[in-house]
Amino acid sequence: MGTHAKLNRRLGAFALVLFLMVGVLSVRLVDFQVVKADEIQEKSLKSRSQTETLQALRGDILDSSGQVLAKTVFRYDINAAPKNVGPVFQNIDGVRTERSVEEIAMELSQVLGIEFGELILRLEGDSEYSSLAKKVKAETYNAIKDMGIPWIFSDQFEDRLYPMGAVAGNVIGFVGSDGTPLAGLERQYNTCLAGVDGQQSFERSAEGLPIPTSNQTTQPTQNGGALNLTIDANLQFFAQQVLADTVNELSAEWASAIVIEVETGKILAAAEAPSVDPNDPAASDAEDRGARIFQAAFEPGSIMKALTASVVLDTGTANEYTTVTAPDRMNLDFGGEYIKDSFDHEDYTLSLAGVLRYSSNTGMTNFASGIDRNIRYDYLKKYGFGSVSTLRFEGESSGILHPASQWDEMTNLVTTFGQGVSVTSLQMGYAYQAIANGGVRLDPRLVENCLGEDGGVIYTPEQGSTRVVSEASANLNLELMEKVVEFGGVGKTAAIPGYRVAGKTGTAQLKDGSGYGSEYAISFYGVAPAENPKFVVGVTIYRPEGVSNSAKATPPFKAIMQQALKHYRIPPSTTQSRSIPSDKFGKVDVND
Amino acid sequence: MSVFMVTEKDAKRLRPSLTSGLIFVLGIVMVLVGQLALNMVLTHDAYELRALKIEKRELATEVQIIQEEVSSLSSPQNLADAANQLGMVANPASVLIDIESDKIFGEPTPAKAEGGQVAAANMIANSALGTVSDFSIATVASGELEVSVESIDSVDSGLVLRSGLIPASPTR
Repeated sequence: MGTHAKLNRRLGAFALVLFLMVGVLSVRLVDFQVVKADEIQEKSLKSRSQTETLQALRGDILDSSGQVLAKTVFRYDINAAPKNVGPVFQNIDGVRTERSVEEIAMELSQVLGIEFGELILRLEGDSEYSSLAKKVKAETYNAIKDMGIPWIFSDQFEDRLYPMGAVAGNVIGFVGSDGTPLAGLERQYNTCLAGVDGQQSFERSAEGLPIPTSNQTTQPTQNGGALNLTIDANLQFFAQQVLADTVNELSAEWASAIVIEVETGKILAAAEAPSVDPNDPAASDAEDRGARIFQAAFEPGSIMKALTASVVLDTGTANEYTTVTAPDRMNLDFGGEYIKDSFDHEDYTLSLAGVLRYSSNTGMTNFASGIDRNIRYDYLKKYGFGSVSTLRFEGESSGILHPASQWDEMTNLVTTFGQGVSVTSLQMGYAYQAIANGGVRLDPRLVENCLGEDGGVIYTPEQGSTRVVSEASANLNLELMEKVVEFGGVGKTAAIPGYRVAGKTGTAQLKDGSGYGSEYAISFYGVAPAENPKFVVGVTIYRPEGVSNSAKATPPFKAIMQQALKHYRIPPSTTQSRSIPSDKFGKVDVND
Repeated sequence: MSVFMVTEKDAKRLRPSLTSGLIFVLGIVMVLVGQLALNMVLTHDAYELRALKIEKRELATEVQIIQEEVSSLSSPQNLADAANQLGMVANPASVLIDIESDKIFGEPTPAKAEGGQVAAANMIANSALGTVSDFSIATVASGELEVSVESIDSVDSGLVLRSGLIPASPTR
């Protein structure tokens, strides 16, 4: 065999081996690149890619002037990894210094406000997680971060802050520790306030940095909207201060005050005491965490007389000069029942203004008993009783107003002076708003609007109106109510120097079993200035100790109304009230 | 596969040109260097982006701290307590001046320290209250504030109102 042939054979063998090797590699290549390509690629991407949730911020709740009532802030849980706890070397003033665990724990205990011994216990063990402090503020977090301890780490989370505490707390409501809205407007308007979380996916390097050329997909966050309220936080605070003082003084179960802007139907203040601090709802009793103005119904008593008077006028049953006889006790011709006034007196001859001034039950009955019960029922419905308002506040009460067909003879009469029905402060406030607004009841407004992040309006509540009585009847009724404040025994204490005030007292005996007991819900609802009504203020005090008339309800009314008039720069009245018969003889009072 | 025997002359002719090889290699090196430079710039930007994000987060935290401090100081609870510390008394009587008609509405009445309906100090809970105003003697002294208030019993009647000259209050 020649050299050439030998060389060719060797080359052929080499080519065969080479071909086999390339073949094997090709098979593996096809296996990796074609058969398992997707699987390997997915595995590789998974190890590099990272998805982050971009947290959307819950929107703010603001008062009518833009003051923040609720906002979202970040809080931090401070944790440690006991497994890694040990001395730390740090450069202090350019000198490498060792800091012992005890030294670090001492500083930590001061920053976190935890006892040294307790903190040391939490740092012991082999676990990788130990909670040192929960929900700390940003400044504490910064202080911990500045310490530069490698075995301490933190978790950031969103939390709700109510900078004004219990101011309007009962209305705003609160959220749970996990951010779930639990009560009030926080819950009702969650659709407006809650945002939509975004998401960011990217491929990261070994150091955790996004790889610049990698695919990055981002779904932007949509932060929650801003809920603008009609509440004036300054007036709300003032009213709450007054009520807190009143509840303390009278040892009452609770008190509420509502301030309504007559022309717009906006609720400027919905105050109550006790109130809840939404920053710490657990500090309040469960029954104090709601909003009684909307949720608690009570038998109104004599504040209803002002509304019955408007019905008497509107139906043409009587005018301001018509009089009736008003004994202190009036026996009824059924079931041995009777109606009596709150004080003993000889028979009075009372005009409608006189009935309001003396708060005579018998007088009111004599004026209104001739009006068909169905007609009176219709008026009460138009005033807003017996149904929830358009606010649809969480847990709002409709009160109780039975259909006229279900009224017995006694109910037919006592409804004229506020018994046999139950109402909320909201309902009564807007009934008075109707009288102050020329007979037109506006739907209550508590929310101005919901604005999106870009400032666009997402939602504005619609406001309807209901004509209850004629303008003439409403205005005349206001004039009658002025006599309560000018000459009424208790009503006089509601007078505000410089302003014409119209209003009505109410002292409702509370039910005790099947009858009435010795406890009361006292109220004063009023309007000022009477000649050009701007505000309705309604105050209700529930179960004040040792109080059996509404004399204690007028000072808070006066304080709150006076503050509203001052705060909104309402000029004092320049006119006098009209002389209208209101004394016990059906004549114009000698001082009128 | 076959092996061809060529002459030395042909082998020289068929040998690849060094220049072409150099150009090819240089081209590849330039592309690689360019890619490296581009990657370095991008990586540097990634680090810078991360640094800026950290700075943004730290600044946002600072903003939150300051905002919470302002919220606490401007809360009605703190203002009520601060006013109480300063001995301020609310005057419920309002006196208004109508600039258009040069009329004064209401009777000026001095504020009464006692007997008012409103409790001067705060009574409304606020567990979010952090930083509060401090008007203790030490604080006031350190601030070198003038604490004496001169009381004026009578106002000089030389004040003349001229319609439209007093700007309207921006508050409600």
